[in-house]
Amino acid sequence: MESRLLHIFRNNPFGRETLLQSIYFCKKVGASPVIYTPKTTKFLMYFDNDVVQVDLDASYLNSPDTAEKHAIEILEQAGMEPRFLDPKHYTASTLPDIHTNFDYMCCPRSISDMSSKIGLGYIGPRVRRIVNSARFPVLVTSPVYKEWKSIAVFFGGSANAVKALRLGFHVSRVSGMQLDVFTQTGKSSKEDYQQVVKDENLEKEMDLYINQWHFFENRVFEENLYDVPHDALVILGAYGHGIIKNFVFGSMMEKIQSTISNNLLIAGPNYTILR
Amino acid sequence: MRILKSWRYPGNWPFFRFDDRLLLMLMAAIVGNFSGLASVALNRSLLMMSEWLHHFRHYWWVFVLPAIGAALSSLFLEKVVKEGAGHGVPEVIYSVSRYGGLLRFRSSFSRLISSCLTIGSGGSAGPEAPVVISGAAIGSNIAKYFSLNDRQRVTLVGCGAAGAISSIFNAPIAGMVFAIEVIVGEWKSVNIVPIAIASVAGTEISRILQGNQIPFSHHLFKIDLLNIFACLGLAVLSAGASILLTRMLRSMHTLSHKLPSPLWVRAAIGGCAVGVIGLFLPVVLGEGYHSVKVLIEGKYAQGLMIVALASFAKIAATALTLGWGGSGGIFAPCLVIGSLLGVTYHHLLALFGPSVSWVNEGYYALLGMAGLISGMLQAPLTGIFLIIEITGGWEVILPLIIVSAVTTTLCHYFEPASYYLKDLVEHGHLLRPGTDARVLSDLNVVELIEGDCIIVNQNMLLRDFVDIIRKSHRNYFPVEDEKTGDFLGIIHLDDIRPHLFNPVMYDAVFLGQIMNTRVETVHPDDDLLDVIRKMDMKGLFSMPVVLNNRFLGLISKATILDQYRKELMVQTSH
Repeated sequence: MESRLLHIFRNNPFGRETLLQSIYFCKKVGASPVIYTPKTTKFLMYFDNDVVQVDLDASYLNSPDTAEKHAIEILEQAGMEPRFLDPKHYTASTLPDIHTNFDYMCCPRSISDMSSKIGLGYIGPRVRRIVNSARFPVLVTSPVYKEWKSIAVFFGGSANAVKALRLGFHVSRVSGMQLDVFTQTGKSSKEDYQQVVKDENLEKEMDLYINQWHFFENRVFEENLYDVPHDALVILGAYGHGIIKNFVFGSMMEKIQSTISNNLLIAGPNYTILR
Repeated sequence: MRILKSWRYPGNWPFFRFDDRLLLMLMAAIVGNFSGLASVALNRSLLMMSEWLHHFRHYWWVFVLPAIGAALSSLFLEKVVKEGAGHGVPEVIYSVSRYGGLLRFRSSFSRLISSCLTIGSGGSAGPEAPVVISGAAIGSNIAKYFSLNDRQRVTLVGCGAAGAISSIFNAPIAGMVFAIEVIVGEWKSVNIVPIAIASVAGTEISRILQGNQIPFSHHLFKIDLLNIFACLGLAVLSAGASILLTRMLRSMHTLSHKLPSPLWVRAAIGGCAVGVIGLFLPVVLGEGYHSVKVLIEGKYAQGLMIVALASFAKIAATALTLGWGGSGGIFAPCLVIGSLLGVTYHHLLALFGPSVSWVNEGYYALLGMAGLISGMLQAPLTGIFLIIEITGGWEVILPLIIVSAVTTTLCHYFEPASYYLKDLVEHGHLLRPGTDARVLSDLNVVELIEGDCIIVNQNMLLRDFVDIIRKSHRNYFPVEDEKTGDFLGIIHLDDIRPHLFNPVMYDAVFLGQIMNTRVETVHPDDDLLDVIRKMDMKGLFSMPVVLNNRFLGLISKATILDQYRKELMVQTSH
């Protein structure tokens, strides 16, 4: 069965950019977008071990009469068949339950705050919760529609990074785009990272898909990010270290997303789907 | 760091690997304590608020207090915590039925605050349902934190509800029975033991912090056979009141939604109406525990008409409070209405049988309470044990059983689902463990698709098709458009049998001519229950699964039943 991407449609120009990003992503990975045009500002997403209440900002409900029409127009212009999600179940009779049986989900950097507030360095709490709980990777888009021409995977050797690497192989295979891997060497050496790849039996895929494996020697990670192509889809794992380590040392994903404006495909700790 | 990580997964500790029931017992004690604390917090807050507002009770404008409370409560739920109104018990049952007991963290405190505002200001509602959702959410989130599985999470949700009810009423058996009978819906030792532990923990917390006292003590009754028979009439009256309350709550809810105004305005209108009623009949205000005490002690010195009017006024006030958007539950109002109804019935008995020695009115107040609880919840055991525990009235157990059983039966006849379950049943959301709907809800179309089908096209000659049939073990053959790949129809061998035995037709017939194009299809997102209903209605054994005009595979009754059996075994094995 073809893979599906969940897109929550925001009926304004910013939402149009996000939908265009989704459409481009779907075309590249062979997925079909499933659009949810919210009728209320609240809905629930039930994951395996968490329930996330998404409180959308009011701009999602701009001119509700035209929302579906606008989405259809954009999809048809892109040559894609419009498919809409109609919630079947409601919590407390009023909150739609959006099922989570998807392969991808597209989110702007925040879905609970006005688009005017959204900028680099900010990922909304709901998007974090979704990334944390979802079995699918989340496409966090750049604010303006931007086609990506290659794939960049950030690999730090953790279990989540391995998942991100596998996801990178998958996207590279289905999209036919070249894949670069970026690793910040810290306490561990190049050989340590190569050993992780070997332990995970990923050597064959590394040879098959990877264009180049870049090792950042400069200790200031943010400075190294200039080397990442501006038109690459950045794939990375997130929140794999637990709350305390993230609190003390900071999250690598947060550093990356606050520095670069590329489209991000984030694999959370519960990401499992790989087709 | 590793220690901290393993802390989140206690199921992996060697001690609990030995028997995961031990883990549940430990967690149940923790959940019971926290939900007990939540109950005590709400109880204390209500007392404080009631004492503080008492100074304003003599002012003429006092009737606006319930309006202000209800409006603030609605604003808090809508704008601050962004939750819907309502008492929350159906939400807990819904999450247990459909999502393995997953509840939002905010639910562990939101209803405590909102119901405190509604009830403390004089709204006619009870604090029990809010503490139930609060306790259940505490259980759910503790289970989530420790990465417990769905079955364990549901049990902890039950533990939270049990701890909360046990704590607020100082009634461990009632809490336990309520959690199993109403929330979990499954009498199994794997649930009963942890829920019992949580009940004990919740009760102990309440006893430590508030003292061990029977909430509604009463005098001893001497009950003869006549008084036992007389309770039948009260059961009928209780059933009528339960049905009236259920219907009024729903009609008020519908009526309020017709008003084109914000939720808080509607809540304020309902609150204001209650305030006006309260000016004339103060017994309708608040949760009414004090009134219940007075009624079962036989100290409510009002005549038949006033008591009857108060019963109806309390029903109306509860419907106005909850139906128009106030926050709270129906437990306490049921106790008040039941006791008022009992006293009314006693007055009627005294009127029509003045020479008979009826037991005092407290006895009938007690039975009325059991009747209303049983009627509204359609949970007779909860009604019986709750009344016995909160009144210490073991001597009334026989009439209590009769009233509870008769009221539940009568109510079930007129309202097949209880107040808590009515919406869930109407929307097909009540999925009790081990039931057909529950088993099917845990399966989905995608996992049952059979992909090993031979796809043919419309331009194929029957002769070529016969060759395919020889090699295939299937009776259904999907037909796709040669160029576009779109699904066109299906060929079922039974439908084309006459052609198969007529070799003259082999080179004259194309599959496009004999395929069935008006075939019922299934979408991958369809509910399996709907699919099986469709199959039953149309007498089908297999249906094609189609997405965007693309054939994905077949779904057959045989595969569904095979998986159904496996799922049923999983669900009922523990």
